[in-house]
Formats: sequence, structure tokens, C-alpha cells
Amino acid sequence: MTTTVDQTHGRPTSVTEPLLRLEGVTKNYGPNTVLKDVSFEIGQGEVVGLLGDNGAGKSTLVKIMSGVVSMSSGKYFWEGEELSRVTRPETERLGVETIFQDSALVPTMSITRNIFAGREVTNRLGFLKMREMDAIATEILDSVVSIEGIKSAKQLVGSLSGGQAQAVAIARAVHFKRSLLILDEPTSALAVRATEALLNYLVALKGEAVSSVLVTHNLHHAYKVCDRHIVMNHGKKILDLRREDTNVEELTAAVVEGMEGVKRYREGQALA
Amino acid sequence: MTISTPEGTEQGTTPAAPLALEEQAPTRRRLADSQPTTGVERFKDNLYYLRGRGALEISGVYLLILVGFAVAAAANPIGFPFLNSNNLSGVLSQNIPVLAILAIGAGVLMIAGEFDLSIGATIGLCGVVFIKVANAHNWQLAFLATIGVGMTVMLINGLIVVKTKIPSFIATLGMSFFWTGASIYINGSNPATFFPGVRTDAMVKVMAGNYGYFRSQLVWLVLIGVAAWFMLHRHRIGNKVYAVGGNPAAAAAVSIKPTVVRLQAFAFLGLMVGIASSLYVARTSGMQPGTTDSYTLLAIAAAVVGGCSLTGGRGSVTGMVVGAALILTIENGLVLGNTPGFYVQLFLGLAIVIAAVFNKFMEGKAT
Repeated sequence: MTTTVDQTHGRPTSVTEPLLRLEGVTKNYGPNTVLKDVSFEIGQGEVVGLLGDNGAGKSTLVKIMSGVVSMSSGKYFWEGEELSRVTRPETERLGVETIFQDSALVPTMSITRNIFAGREVTNRLGFLKMREMDAIATEILDSVVSIEGIKSAKQLVGSLSGGQAQAVAIARAVHFKRSLLILDEPTSALAVRATEALLNYLVALKGEAVSSVLVTHNLHHAYKVCDRHIVMNHGKKILDLRREDTNVEELTAAVVEGMEGVKRYREGQALA
Repeated sequence: MTISTPEGTEQGTTPAAPLALEEQAPTRRRLADSQPTTGVERFKDNLYYLRGRGALEISGVYLLILVGFAVAAAANPIGFPFLNSNNLSGVLSQNIPVLAILAIGAGVLMIAGEFDLSIGATIGLCGVVFIKVANAHNWQLAFLATIGVGMTVMLINGLIVVKTKIPSFIATLGMSFFWTGASIYINGSNPATFFPGVRTDAMVKVMAGNYGYFRSQLVWLVLIGVAAWFMLHRHRIGNKVYAVGGNPAAAAAVSIKPTVVRLQAFAFLGLMVGIASSLYVARTSGMQPGTTDSYTLLAIAAAVVGGCSLTGGRGSVTGMVVGAALILTIENGLVLGNTPGFYVQLFLGLAIVIAAVFNKFMEGKAT
């Protein structure tokens, strides 16, 4: 599997450059600055946790990484090379897939049509191969997540529950990802068993040289599977630590109280 | 939102239970195992997932009405001449195709999440253009020019809506008056008519020929309907239209450009309006600007009766055509039954509202 991924991008087998590197990313919405000078990198095959309270700028960062939203200033490097324009078609070409918090599905379309929207399996004239797409959709729904209650890939997404729709979004991202999978609060609507399966899957992805970014409120989920944790606070990166250099308590302090909390926690640890 | 802490976990001190990667998910029912395999099963499955999409139910209703009218006509061929070839060919197969073609245009635009209130005014302008160009040159050139004008008009409407982001309701309402004014400016307020000899036999044969039980217009509808069905339901272009109308943000996230798709839908409506107005003037031989306004709301009503939603993302070509046929067949039945003029409007209006409510109800049953 690793070799296929490598061939897709023609990258050398031993790569020292990180997969994705952001430098000095700032984002303004009118007068509001939601991201201030954020820099970080995501290594090849690394699972990175992106943590922070509501309004910390996580979702904006996710949208910038996936190319849906453009940054006001900053640089975007892919395997060491700077991208001049970061657009969704460009990131799609690089193999970046995102599961958005609001799941980004079309409720009036079937599961199959949602999974393949914009990337349909067609003949040379652009006509859809519906039966083939139905079969693939059925297969990836079976292989990726638990699909309790979904009867057919022909069902409308609008007729699914929140968790089932989330499963469809995950199935789509997993099917098309080739290098980076970004998950924005993927477990918020999932049942316990489906969550467990998804987290296991992220760890398994490392074996396929696919990196992932997990955005979550649930620090225990993040701590279980992530190699590294980035904590955001009011649009700034305040922590960027490898898993072995931190723990859930420190991360909790950082998320809830920001840098103040981390200082207090560390002082407390030093005294003890 | 709060940070959740699983109950009973000793926070932070030890990493929570390591993930058991080797543990396979418990055996569960696979989706693939319950899918239809034989042809009959597959047909049933497809039929099941057609429920609530608009076309299936309204087609059933239309069939019932047709059977009812046919029985009434068989019982009383003189008093209710519904099955008379003059009625089938002269009224139904001339009226239904024009409205159905307009409904396909209006419906596709509605699926993309916009609508256009200047359809009637544009028919007036297109009709005038057809007659003027045919008088000056020939009907073939007139046909192409009419399509060109229809598409240009709708692209201008579309650009205003897409670029300024004002609701298409108000933008196209304003443009409706503008295009009526434009056709009066070009033509004057008297009806435009063909010069003697311009409406050639060939033109009549292609655009309004009488072939016994049907007319040329019906052939146009079948060709356009089949092409539109394949493009909307079996081509990636159609998927884009549904995605943009159903959830523009989701469409943008998969590299579909909502503004481009909406402009294409406006242009497609322009094409349909161009063809429909050509068929219209080929039959009536004249066009008076300002007299075609009722087509706007009839076309939108036909699309809604056929299952299109004003909020976008829903609808089907079959539904649009059946919606147009249903409206005009009921009107035809009322007229044949000697219903006084104001009752026709009353019953027709009622029928449209009931059909829309029925669709809304069936939409809730969609799976």
C-alpha cells in the first residue's frame, strides 16, 4: 500500500520534508482576526491532534488546510514546496480529504451520489455508471464504519440520522484520501463502537503512509491516537508537544485556561 | 461545549486503555449482502427509492385523471370529446409540449436553487425576434437567432443574480418588465406577424406539423425530454446541479463552483425558452409583446406540481413534464365539460395547490 501511495505522488521513498507545513498563517474576517501567525507541520504518516476551545480557530485552520478557505497571509508548503495558490482543486489533487464538522453533504441526494459528487465514475462522455458507483459505495460503507440502520446506498442522505450521515462523510473522505485525512469533530455524532472503529482506523492509516489531523473536544480520544498535540487558543498556537512530552491534564489545562493554565499546571507539578 | 471525561477514568495519570488494534469489529450484517441481485429485485429496489422524489406519485395521479377522462369520453363522445383526434392533436399535443419544455427549463433552474420570473416576457421578446429574422432572412436562421436571444437574456438575468447576490425573485421580476419593454421597443405594440410566404411548408412541417393524433411539437418534447433526463439524472452535469441546489457549501467543498453551475442552469432555461417560443410563433403566426406573461407562473407551477422544490435540490424531468401535462389536461377537461370561464381558473388554481400539497406530503415519505 505504501508503495502505491508513493507512486501516486512520485515522491522518493525516504522523505525528510514534512508532508504539510504552514508558516505564519493569519486569517481575518473583516475586522476580526481569527488566526494570528500560526505555524506548524504535519509529518509523513503522523497523526496530529488539533485541540482548543470553541472559537480558538480550529475550524478555520481546517478549512485553510483543505483549501476551502484562503488565508489572509502566510505560506503553505507541501513536501517542502510552496503552493502559490491553495484552492480546493489543488488540495484535491494532492490527496487531501476533509470530514467537516457540519458534514458537508447534500441532504436531497442519495448516499452514492453524495460520496461521488464532483468525482463521479463515468464513461468517456461523462455519463454516470450508477450501478458501479452503488456497488463501490456499498462496499466502502461496509468497510469503514458501522452502518447501523442504513439499508441501501440509494437512500437520501436527508433521511439518515446525524450519526449515519457522519458515517457517510467519513466513508467518502476515507475512500478518496491519498495523503492527508483531516477530521473536524468526527466523533461528535457517532456511537461509541463507531468512534472506537474510527480511531483504530486512524492508527492503521500510519501503515499506509497517510497522515491525519484529528480535531476534537474529547482529549481522551485525541490522547489515545495522536502522535503530537497542537493546542489553539484565541487564534494562536500555544502548545505543540509530542505525545510523550505531555499528558491529558496538561492538555486540559491548555485548552480550558490557555497559557495561564499550562503555567499553573507546570508550577504545580514542579512543587509536587 | 465541554470537554468530556469518560466516567471512572483516572484523568491524565495513565494513558487510557491502549487501543486493541488486532480486535476485529464484531460480526455484523453487511450492507452488501442485502442488496438486490436479480433483475426483478433490482427493479423493485429502484422503484422503492423513487418514492417521494416527485415523479412517481404525480404520474400515478395523472394516469388516474387520464383514465377518468377517457371513460367519460367513451361514455359520452359527443358531450365530452376528449378522445377526439381534434382535441388530442389540436389542443393537447400543441399546448402541452410548449409548457412542458418551459417547465423543464424552469425546473432545472429551480433544482439549482434559483428561479426566473421573466420567462413570459422573454417568450414575447424571442417570438418577436423569430418573426423579424424570419421575415428578413429565413426560418432556420430565425430559429438559431431566437435560441441565441433566449440564452443571452437568461445569462444576463443569471449574471445579475449571481454577481450581486440579490434574490432571483426581485432581480428577475424587474428584468421581466425590462424584457417586455425591450420587445415593445423593437417591435412596437402591434402584433408582429410573418410576411406572406415566410411561414414555409418546411417550417410548418418541422415546428407545427399535423400528423393525425399528434403534432410536431410532441416530437420536440420527446427529444428534449429524453436528452434532459439523461443530462440531469445520468450525467455528472446533473449531479452538479443537484449538489449546488441542495447544499452550495457542500458542493464547493468538492470543487463544484455554485456560480458557474447556476449560470449554466440559467443558460439552459434560455435555450428552452428559445425553442418553446419558436414553436409558439410557428403555430400562432403572430406575437404581441406583453401577452405571454402567464407562461411564467404556469411553467413554475408545472415544475412545482411535478415535485420541484422552490428551495432547490429536488425535482425530476419526468415530474416537470407530467406537471405541465396535468395542468393543461385538467384545463382541457374543464373546458370540454363546458365549465364557465371563471370556474376553469378556480378549479385549475385549486388543482395546482392540491398537487403541491400532495407533493410536500410525499416528500416526507422519501427514503
